[in-house]
Amino acid sequence: MRKLASLLIALTLVWSVLLAAPAAAEEQKLKVYASFYPMYDFASKVGGDKVQVVNMVPSGMEPHDWEPEAADVIGLENADIFVYNGAGMEHWVDKVLAALSNQSLIVVNTSEGQTLLEGHHHDHDEDHEHDEDEDHEHDEDEDHEHAEDEDHEHDEDEGHDEDEDHEHEQDEDHEHDHGEFDPHVWLGPLNAKAQMEAIKNAFVVADPDNASYYEDNYARYATEFDALDAEFSAALNPLPNKQIVVSHQAFGYLCAAYGLTQESIEGLAPDSEPDPARMAEIIEFVKDNGITTIFFEELVSPKVAETIASATGAVTAVLSPVEGLSDEQLANGGDYFSVMRENLAALVKALQ
Amino acid sequence: MDILQYDFMRRAFAVGLMLAVIVPCIGVVVVLKRLSMLGDALSHTSLAGVAAGLVLGINPIVGAVVICVIAALSIEVIRKKLPKYAEMAIAIIMSAGIGLAGVLSGFVKSSANFNSFLFGSIVAISDFEMLLVSLISLAVLSAFLLLYKELFFIALDERAARLAGVPVRTVNFIFTILTAITVSVAARTVGALIVSSLMVLPVASAMQLVKSYKQTVIVSILFGILFVIGGLFLSYYVGLKPGGTIVLLGVASLVVLMLGKGVLGQKA
Repeated sequence: MRKLASLLIALTLVWSVLLAAPAAAEEQKLKVYASFYPMYDFASKVGGDKVQVVNMVPSGMEPHDWEPEAADVIGLENADIFVYNGAGMEHWVDKVLAALSNQSLIVVNTSEGQTLLEGHHHDHDEDHEHDEDEDHEHDEDEDHEHAEDEDHEHDEDEGHDEDEDHEHEQDEDHEHDHGEFDPHVWLGPLNAKAQMEAIKNAFVVADPDNASYYEDNYARYATEFDALDAEFSAALNPLPNKQIVVSHQAFGYLCAAYGLTQESIEGLAPDSEPDPARMAEIIEFVKDNGITTIFFEELVSPKVAETIASATGAVTAVLSPVEGLSDEQLANGGDYFSVMRENLAALVKALQ
Repeated sequence: MDILQYDFMRRAFAVGLMLAVIVPCIGVVVVLKRLSMLGDALSHTSLAGVAAGLVLGINPIVGAVVICVIAALSIEVIRKKLPKYAEMAIAIIMSAGIGLAGVLSGFVKSSANFNSFLFGSIVAISDFEMLLVSLISLAVLSAFLLLYKELFFIALDERAARLAGVPVRTVNFIFTILTAITVSVAARTVGALIVSSLMVLPVASAMQLVKSYKQTVIVSILFGILFVIGGLFLSYYVGLKPGGTIVLLGVASLVVLMLGKGVLGQKA
């Protein structure tokens, strides 16, 4: 009995040590929870020192397969604002928000009202169907044109809910990893600018006293987004090659904005297993089109990209989907803009 | 042949064939010892090793092998303490391994590294992995042939083996370590799914057809080879994920064999 009692006491001690989580709270500042790095970066930039932003996905983690832990949900209960990308990027949002009792939480879906690209799934089946009546190169062009067409359509009657439904119907026969849309909205600089604007608007509502501060910050970064956009156009437009091969189909918005087309090894989710038929197809595509670089991203294994590179004599290079920065990048003062400029340099090198 | 024009497919066949021979060899013994879930348990546990390796700054593959060996030996120990509930040992170690992997992964700085060691695919195999699998295959195959009689005894009845003068502890030790190394490396190379299923499905299929130990070993290897080659062909020409295709082909064959046996059994 005594032995049992001492065991229980020991267990209780261990538990209490483990459970006594440090409870430090910072008051007054607007408490903002951001669903992953770009949201965090945009919110920090707009909020400056008036807000305290928490990046929910730790640096170096791949956000597609991240899920909130208990501590994150507790954090959300005490937060003022929750900023997320939407368009299916954070599959956990609906469930977690429904479970929250925080009535005053302002939820910002930063991709709301934006023209979303369809979530093309580069599945073998789909390509196979295309193969029957078209040739291979056309596949990609078609994707691209389609994306542009869609843009136009939406420009005419922007931001209506009906649009979304409409798109949904159009899209029914496709297979999707992330739901119906390509969620990687932030990779188009102008789309990212709109996301930052949505964040700014929420801050202004939540903290009207500092409205002009947020407006000023936003205005400053809006110019930077425009500058980034101009840099991409200026650098990419004159280049002869427009096709990039990427490991994960994340660059739809970037490609749509600068006239590029992406051929992706995987679909919208970054780390499913490739099938050999798709790999063979990509190898042929790389050979036929004289592609020199196979892009992979730093948060996902480069194995498949390396296999394809070694089969074709291409080289591999990093093209970051800016889903998270490494500790190294953060230590060097990296942010959305610096990583996007690295991307631009990599693209220029590959497409020359 | 079209399918062999690509280097990555040639590697897939080479590594797949090696594993199709050695994993069922291990599998026959494992299944007879009532440890069918061993492959699963070890491949999950090896994730903890990968994480530990990254946290401690040692080579994650070494970490995976070390943790896998520890886990496999612990399973042996627990199994002896609870002789009637061998499968409990596996459940305990598997939970411990997954739990440890979960906690340790929180300390891993970059999931880039983590993912590149977790991710294994039979269609993306590097030179180093190919070499590693070749060496392990050689070691497992020679151990299996040299210890053929001893393993046979132990697999059927450990106590009788001990009475017959088989050095049960030593043989178990060697076998356990080879199993752990094979699973940890192969799971990183071709994915945990292929490894854990090749350990059981070929053996289960062989058991539908033949009775003796020797025949079971031979037929298991043949089934292993059939599943891997068939799976790779199917996945290449139909456009399916290779790991899942290999496994489903194995399951389908087993179902057909069981049904066939049932029908024939009724007639007889």
